[in-house]
Amino acid sequence: MTELVDVILGGTFHAAVLFLVAAGLQLVFGVQKLVNLACGSFYALGAYFGITAVGLALKLGLPPLLFFPVLILAGLAIGLVGLPIERVLRTIYRRDESYQLLLTFGFLLMFQDVFRYIWGATPRTMDNVYLVYGTANVLGVRVPTYNLLVIAASIAIAVGLGYFLERTKTGRIVRATAENRDMAEGLGVNASKIFALVFTVGCMLGTVGGALVVPSGAASLDMAVELVVESFAVVVIGGLGSMRGAIVGALIVGLMRAASISLMPEMEMLSVYLVVVLVLIVRPAGLFGKATA
Amino acid sequence: MQPNRAAAPNAEPLFETINVTKSYGPFTALRDISFAVSDGEFVSIVGPNGAGKTTLVNVVTGLLRPTVGEVRFLGQDIAGVGPVELARRGMSRAFQLVNIFPALTVRETLAVAVASRLRRIANPFRSLWRDSVLQADIERVAEVLGLRGKLDTVASTLSQGEKKLLDIASAFALNPTVILLDEPTSGVSTGDKHAIMEVLVTAAKAAGVRAIVQVEHDMDLVERYSHRIVALQGGAMLADMPPDAFFKDPAMIAAVVGTRPQSKKAH
Amino acid sequence: MPSVDIASPAVPRAMPRVSGLWVLLALLAIMALLPFVASPYVLLLMLPFMGYGIALLGFNLLFGTTGLLSFGHAMFLGIGAYTAAALTSKFGVKSFELLLLAAALGSGLVSIVTGLLCVRYTRIFFGMLTLAFGMLFHSFLFKFYAVTGGDQGMRVLRPLLLGMEWRGGKTAFLTGPFYYYSLVLFALLGLAMWRITQSPFGLHLKAIRENAGKAAYVGVQIFRMRLAAFVISAVYGGIGGTILAVTTGLADPELAYWTHSGNLVFMAVLGGSGTFAGPAIGALVFVLLQDFVMSLTQYWRFVMGGVLVLLVVFLPQGLSGAVSLLFNRRNGGR
Repeated sequence: MTELVDVILGGTFHAAVLFLVAAGLQLVFGVQKLVNLACGSFYALGAYFGITAVGLALKLGLPPLLFFPVLILAGLAIGLVGLPIERVLRTIYRRDESYQLLLTFGFLLMFQDVFRYIWGATPRTMDNVYLVYGTANVLGVRVPTYNLLVIAASIAIAVGLGYFLERTKTGRIVRATAENRDMAEGLGVNASKIFALVFTVGCMLGTVGGALVVPSGAASLDMAVELVVESFAVVVIGGLGSMRGAIVGALIVGLMRAASISLMPEMEMLSVYLVVVLVLIVRPAGLFGKATA
Repeated sequence: MQPNRAAAPNAEPLFETINVTKSYGPFTALRDISFAVSDGEFVSIVGPNGAGKTTLVNVVTGLLRPTVGEVRFLGQDIAGVGPVELARRGMSRAFQLVNIFPALTVRETLAVAVASRLRRIANPFRSLWRDSVLQADIERVAEVLGLRGKLDTVASTLSQGEKKLLDIASAFALNPTVILLDEPTSGVSTGDKHAIMEVLVTAAKAAGVRAIVQVEHDMDLVERYSHRIVALQGGAMLADMPPDAFFKDPAMIAAVVGTRPQSKKAH
Repeated sequence: MPSVDIASPAVPRAMPRVSGLWVLLALLAIMALLPFVASPYVLLLMLPFMGYGIALLGFNLLFGTTGLLSFGHAMFLGIGAYTAAALTSKFGVKSFELLLLAAALGSGLVSIVTGLLCVRYTRIFFGMLTLAFGMLFHSFLFKFYAVTGGDQGMRVLRPLLLGMEWRGGKTAFLTGPFYYYSLVLFALLGLAMWRITQSPFGLHLKAIRENAGKAAYVGVQIFRMRLAAFVISAVYGGIGGTILAVTTGLADPELAYWTHSGNLVFMAVLGGSGTFAGPAIGALVFVLLQDFVMSLTQYWRFVMGGVLVLLVVFLPQGLSGAVSLLFNRRNGGR
C-alpha cells in the first residue's frame, strides 16, 4: 500500500513538471505548427537559472522559506529568452516542418554549450532548501512538502492557462490564430505579435518547469536532451496540440516511470516508449488529438 | 468516337452504378444513383455545387465505398478497391484542381504511369532511361496529347493549360478502358477549354479509350461533346438523357445551372 | 500557403543529369589517392566519413527521394555497430563480409517490422514514431547491461578482410586495407544507389514525395514503396554503422541516441538533400568541420548548432544549392 502511494506521489510530481514542458510544446505546436526540439533546453535553462537565482537570493539574506516564489519568478524571467529565439524562428514559419525541427535542433546544440560555459560540465545542485517546508504525511508516506507545492503550482498553472485560452479576449485571439492564421490576420489580428507571445509563454512554461524540478535533483547537461524525448512521449500519447492530452500524457508517462523504477528499473524509459508505440499504432492521433494523421 | 447505340442495349455496360447511396452520418451525399456507361460513350455529370458530383466520382473511382449499392466495372464490383487497383483494372482519373508532380519533368510524370502499367517496379536497379519500350510509350502518349515538345520541362513551370493536359496525359498513360475527368477544364481560359477538349477527344480515340465520363460546369462543352447527360441535384438523380433533350428543357437547365448566360459568367 | 519543399532541388535541371554520380565518383577517386599524400590523421577522419556517407546515401533515399523525415535513423547505425560487436567479441565471427551481411540483414529485418508501423504516417508523425523506435532501441542498449554492456558499450574486434588477417598496428590496418575496403564498398553502394534513383522504382518514390494522392491514381503502391525505401535506407544505415564501429573499435549506445539521428539529418541538409551526392558531401563536411571546431574549442556544439541555424535560415538547399546558385549566376541565370 505505502509502495503504491509512493509510486503515485513520485509519478505525479514528475508528471506535474512534465506537464509544464509539454504544455509549452503543445501551445507552440497548436498555434505555430512548430515542433520545438529546444523545449528541453528551456527546461534545463530554467533549472540552471533557478539554482543561480536562489543562491543569489539566499546570499542577499532572503529567508529560505521564500525560495519557492523566487524559483517561479526566476523561471518566468529567464523564459523571456523565448522572445529573441522566436525572432529567428519567424523566418521559417512557412517552410517545411523538417526545417523547423532542424532549426530548433540547432538551438538545442547551442544551448548545451551555453550551459557548459556558464555552469560547467558537472551537475549542479541547489543549496539545501529542498526540505525547508518540511515533510508531509500522505496516507502513511512521508513526502517533502515541496513536492506537493509543485503539484499544486502545476495544477494552478494548468487552470490559469485554461482560463486564459478559453475566457480571455487574447486567449480567444490565440485560438483563432491557431485555427486559421490567414483568416485571423484578415480580421485584423497581428499574428506576429500573437506568435511572439505564444512562443514566449511556451518557453516560460518550460523554464518554470525546470526551475521547479531542480531543488529535488540536480541540473545537468543531459537533462535537456533527455527531457525532449520524454515530453515528445507526452504529446504523442496525449495527442499533438491538445492541452487535455498534455495533462493525461504527462500523468501516464510520470506514473509509468515511477512504477517501472520501483518494479523493474531496467524498464524505466523502455516502458514509456512502448506506450508511445502502442498509442501510435492504436490511436495514431493520440488520446486527445484530432484525427489528422 | 461515336456512341455505338445499336450495340448498346444488348451489350453489358462498361461500367455502372446500381442504387448507390453514400451517407455521412445523418447527411446523405448521394441517394440511389443508378446509371450505366456503354462502349463508345461520352457522359457528362452535371449539377449545381453541392449536388454530389465529386462524391459520385470518388465513389465510382473506388476512393469511397458506397453506403448502399454497387459499382460495377467490366462486370466486377469495384466498390472501395482503391486507386491503385482501379488503375490496374483500366479506369483512370484526372482531377478538378491541377494535380501534378511539381518537380518532375513531363517525361518523368508520364513515366510514373507507364512504369506502373508495364510493371517495371519490381527490380529497383533497372534503368528508366535505357528502357526503349517504356520511353517509346511515353513519347506516344506525349505526342497524342500535344506535349511532345515539353517532355523535358519541369511540370511546375508549365502553363496552367499545359498542367491540365499533363494531368490528363498521365491518366491516358495508363491505357485506360474508361477515363473519369473531374472538371477537366476548370481554371483555364475559355479558349484553352475548347483546345483541351479537342485534344482529349482525339486522344481518347487514338488511345483506344472506350468511354469518357466527366464532371463539367461549362454547358457549352457539355452540349458539344456529350452523348448523354446525368444530372444530379441534392444528391439525387434528376435526369439521364441525351443533350438535345436536356437542353430543350428550360426547367432542367434552370435546375442545374440557373439560366444559361449566368452559367457562362460563373465559369 | 506557399511552402518550400525541402526535398526539391533549388533549380531543377540546372546541371546535367549525370552530375550526381560523377560528383560522388570524383570524390571517391580523390580519396583513393589520398593515402599517398595525406597524414594518417586525415585518413582516420575519412573512415567515419565513409561510414556516414554510406548511411546518408540510404537516408536520403528516404528523406530526399521519398520525402519521409526520420528522426530515428541512428537506430540502424546502432544495429550495424552492435551486430559487428556481438559477432566479433561474443561469437568469434571475424569475417568482415559476414559482419556486413549480418548487419544488413539485421537492420533490414528490424526495419521491416518497424517500417510496417511507421510508413503509414507521414510528416511529423513519421518523425515522432521513428524517434520513439530509435529511443526504444537506445534504452534497450543502455539498460540491459548483461546483453549489451550498457553505457560501456561492446568492443568490436579487428575483422578479417576477404578472409585475410592483417597484422600490424591499429592505425596501419585502418588507414591501409580497411580504408580501401571501405572505399570500394562506398563506391559499389553509391553505384547501386544511383541505379535505384534512376530506375522506375526510384521514380515512383519521387512521385510519392511530390504528390502521394495523385501517385496512387497512376498506379503507385504508396505503402509498399515507402516500406521498400525504408528498408533499403536501413540496410545502408546498418552497413555504415558497421564501418563506424570497426573504426572506433566500439559499439556504444550513443550511436542510437536521438541526437545522433539529428546529426544525420543535419548532414543531409548541410550537403543538400535534393541532390544525389549532396548528403554524402554533407557527411564529409560535417566530419571535417566537427574535427576542426573541436580542435579549436571545447564549445564545438555551440558552433555546430550555430552553423545549423544559419544553414536553415540562409541556405536551405545546402551546399549543393549554393553551388548550383553560383553555377547559374555565372551562366547569366537560367
